[in-house]
Formats: sequence, structure tokens, C-alpha cells
Amino acid sequence: MLEVSNLNAFYGNIHVLWDISFTVKEAEIFALIGANGAGKSTLLRAISGLLLPASGTITFLGQRIDHLSSNEIVELGLSHIPEGRKLFTEMSVRENLEMGAYTKPAWVQKAETLKWVYEIFPILKEREKQLASTLSGGEQQMLAMGRGLMSRPKLCIIDEPSNGLAPRLVLEVFKVIKSLRDQDITILLVEQNVKHTLETADRACVLENGRLALDGTCQQLLDSEHIRKAYLGL
Amino acid sequence: MPESIVNILDIAIGGLLLGGIYALIAMGMSLQYGVARVLNFSHGEFIMVGAFSTLTLYTVVGINPLICLVIIGPVIFLIGFLLHRTLFHQLSLRAPNADAYAASSILASFGLLFIIQNLALLGWGADYQAYTYLNFGVSIGGAIFSANKLVILGFSIGIGLIFYIFLARTRTGKGIRAAAQDPATASLMGVNINRVLALCFGFGAAMAGIAGVLYSMRIPLNPAMGTQYTIIAIIVIVLGGLGSIPGAFIGGLILGIIGEVVTSIDPSLSMAAYYFIFMLLLLVRPKGIFGK
Ligand SMILES: Nc1ncnc2c1ncn2[C@@H]1O[C@H](COP(=O)(O)OP(=O)(O)O)[C@@H](O)[C@H]1O
Ligand SMILES: [Mg+2]
Repeated sequence: MLEVSNLNAFYGNIHVLWDISFTVKEAEIFALIGANGAGKSTLLRAISGLLLPASGTITFLGQRIDHLSSNEIVELGLSHIPEGRKLFTEMSVRENLEMGAYTKPAWVQKAETLKWVYEIFPILKEREKQLASTLSGGEQQMLAMGRGLMSRPKLCIIDEPSNGLAPRLVLEVFKVIKSLRDQDITILLVEQNVKHTLETADRACVLENGRLALDGTCQQLLDSEHIRKAYLGL
Repeated sequence: MPESIVNILDIAIGGLLLGGIYALIAMGMSLQYGVARVLNFSHGEFIMVGAFSTLTLYTVVGINPLICLVIIGPVIFLIGFLLHRTLFHQLSLRAPNADAYAASSILASFGLLFIIQNLALLGWGADYQAYTYLNFGVSIGGAIFSANKLVILGFSIGIGLIFYIFLARTRTGKGIRAAAQDPATASLMGVNINRVLALCFGFGAAMAGIAGVLYSMRIPLNPAMGTQYTIIAIIVIVLGGLGSIPGAFIGGLILGIIGEVVTSIDPSLSMAAYYFIFMLLLLVRPKGIFGK
């Protein structure tokens, strides 16, 4: 579904991503884990077109997307739910969701999609008319995810959805992510919550200092000595 | 009606008229500054071009100024759109960061100011020119108002409100508001940022042009007339709150009414009063009425 190969990216002169290659298969949860500053968000930004890679290719559903802009990429069915939620705080909850359906095909069916998103996150319907800035942290994360689903994506890339949430809400977020996979939406998940992530995802890779250190099924990673020591503190 | 009431009504209508014009001009500038991030010092020149084009179309070709509105508005929109696509977009590609772009785009807008003014001098000459249109009295409850005043008032406030509804309700309008708040995230939603920036620059220019078409019915025209409106627009968007479109609209109406009241006392004081309000705002409430 998504194939990244030999990707290199820079911020100015700083080389942040080094020769990254991996593949995300259809209807799986593929997790990307790594310490703060490893380059996870940068990798997602390169995939969704917010950052132009210096070299390498990104192929989505058989089509090269590494030189497309973000608005073209979302139209192909790839939705990026960014780190830190990035809500439109001066808009209502409803308008934020509508923005998620901005592409022409999604706009046409937004009433129907909205129903689906409200089923997943009933609290958003209750909060519909409120300004996004008035929501609690957990509700804001649900809104960010709901907004990301409004484009009816085939692949959803989600950057640290559990960050800053209470444990109960973290479980809730992981539950929703699993249910999305069960509805055949492929997920590329970036998380710092390594234990939960490896228990939820199908396959994963580890990013260290901008380089891929390990990849495999989650069970393989859970069994790896390096992961147990460096990420699980065992 | 007693004369004092007629006077007050006259000042109120005059204030709303001036305010409606200011509101249009300031909404235009607010779109260019708040969304497209260009502090456009040539904004007033688009007013001047709108006004002179109306004068020429009316006095030479015989096209009624209200018809001019639907010709000149779209033409100036297109000019603004293309200006952004070429000049300002190129500048933004060349600027290493937002601050550098703020500086280079201001300089470019000064360049535009001189180019447009000089072309206008060449085409229309340096003398003051005027025409009359709908310049007859209409009686409202015993008070007499010139018809063009009422038409200008109706059109400027109407266009301001329609644009506001466009921003609030339509897909493109929401995209513009999202792009104003967070361009990168808006583009993740599917908003074509370059297109939206050019659209906003075009809408901003068109609003200035439309203000020029309307106001040309009442004031003498001259190629240098635009500059003071650029300054007024800056004062209004500071008054309303930088980047706030409703703020620009309401701020325009308020400044217009203040202007008319001051003018009724002494016409030469209105610009001084605007500057005074501007200074006061910067000292007391720099974020303006609707600012955050
Ligand atoms: N906009 C930016 N400009 C310059 N450097 C950046 C920028 N964003 C991130 N970086 C740097 O790039 C590296 C990777 O960051 P990031 O991708 O955000 O890491 P992660 O998401 O894994 O925490 C870090 O060293 C960070 O400081
Ligand atoms: Mg990150």
C-alpha cells in the first residue's frame, strides 16, 4: 500500500532522515517507534508532502507521491493526523470536521461520513457547536482523529495520538485505531508508548537518530533484547 | 422633523457611508495581510484604479457606474490573483523564511504603488476629475439624502456582508479561514494553499477596486488619492484586530462614523483624528477590538 525507499530528508543543512526504506501492507497497523527527536514526525511529514525529500521514492497505491503537494496526496486517500492535534481552534468542532472533508469527493459525501465519525466519537456530536479550543485534551485528540477520517482515507498516518492523555483515554485511542483497521483502513502509527503500540500493531520498525534500526512483526520486536532494554526498560 | 434630528441622521448616514467604504477597503487589506501575509502598501492604488476606470467607462463609454461594478470588480480580482501568482508567489519561493518574505513583499508592494500611480498619471493626468451620478435628493422621513449616498451605503455594506457569509458558509470560505489559521494543516486537509493565497490577494484587490467604483460617485479623483486609504485601512485593521475579517468590517464602520462626526466639526481634522485613535489603540489595546 505504501512503499518508502531510500528516503533522505534535510532541515536546511541538517540531515534528518538517512536512507529509510519500509513497506506498509494493506489493512495492517504498522507502527513506527523511536525516541524523541529520532525523526518520526519528519518521516510522516515527508510522506504527506509537507516536506520535500532530498532523495528516495515514496509510492502510495502504485503511484509515486514524493513530488506531490499535501493537498494532492490527501485526495489519493492518504490522511495525516499531525502531532499536537493542530486543530483549527477558531472554528467549531463541526467546522473542523468539515475541513477534514475538504477534498471534492469527500465534500460531496460529508453528511454521511459525519454520521460515521459521530458513531466512533459520540462526544464530538455533543460538542458539535463548541469552538475546538474549548475541548479537553482527550476530546481534542478525538476531534483530530475524526477530522482525519472525514476524507475517507485508505491509509491513515497518526502521529503520537496518545501523547498527554490520561491512561483511560490512551486505551480508548488504541481501541479506535484497532477498529479502524477492522474496517480495512490501513494505519501507520507513530508512538512513544512502545508497550501499548507493540501489543496493538501488526508490524513495526524502530527509528534511531534518523536511521531504521530494526523492523519486523511486533512479536519479534517484543522478543528483541535491544527493544526490551532500550524501550521497555526490562 | 426638527433640524437637530435631521442633522444627526445626516451624520449617521454619512458616517455609515464612509464606514461602509472603509469596511470594504479594510476587509480587502485584512485578507491580503491576514491570509496572504502581504502588507500591501499599494492597496489604495487599486481603489484609485477602480475609481478612475469608472469615471472613464461612465463619461467616455457611457456605462452606468453600477454596471461598472460587475465589470471592474472581476477584472481587478483577476489582476490581484495574477499578481500574487507571479510576483508575490515568486518572492515567497525565494525568501528563506517568513520574516524575509514580509520584508520583500512590502518592498514589492511599494514598487507597485509607484508603478500604478505613474501609469495613472500617464493615462488620466494629474488634475482632479469628477463626474456626477444619481446626484438627486431622496426624502426619508422628511430628511433629504442624495441618492448616490444611499446606493453606496447599501452596496458597500451588502458586499461586506455577502463576503462574510461566503467565508462563514462555503467550502472555499472555510478553506480560506483554515489557511489563515494554519496553512500547513489546511493543506493536509486538501486546501491548495497557493491557490487560496492568490484568491485572497485577488479578493482583497477586488474589494479595494469596488470601493473605488462606489466612492468615485462622491469624491474628486486624482492619481495620488489612494495613499490615504492605505493608511486608513491599516488603522482599521489594527482597530478591528489584525487578521480578523469581522473586525475589519466593524472597525471600518466605527472609523467611518468617527470620521463623519469629526468632519462635521472641522473637515480638516479627520485624518488627525484617525492618527490619534491609532496611537491611542497602540498604547491601550494593541490587539484591537476583536484581536486575540
Ligand atoms: N522545523 C524544523 N527545523 C529544523 N529542525 C527540525 C525541525 N523539526 C524537527 N527538527 C529536528 O529534526 C529532528 C527530528 O525531529 P522529529 O521528526 O520531530 O522527531 P520525532 O518526531 O521523532 O520526535 C530533531 O533533531 C529535531 O530537532
Ligand atoms: Mg514527533
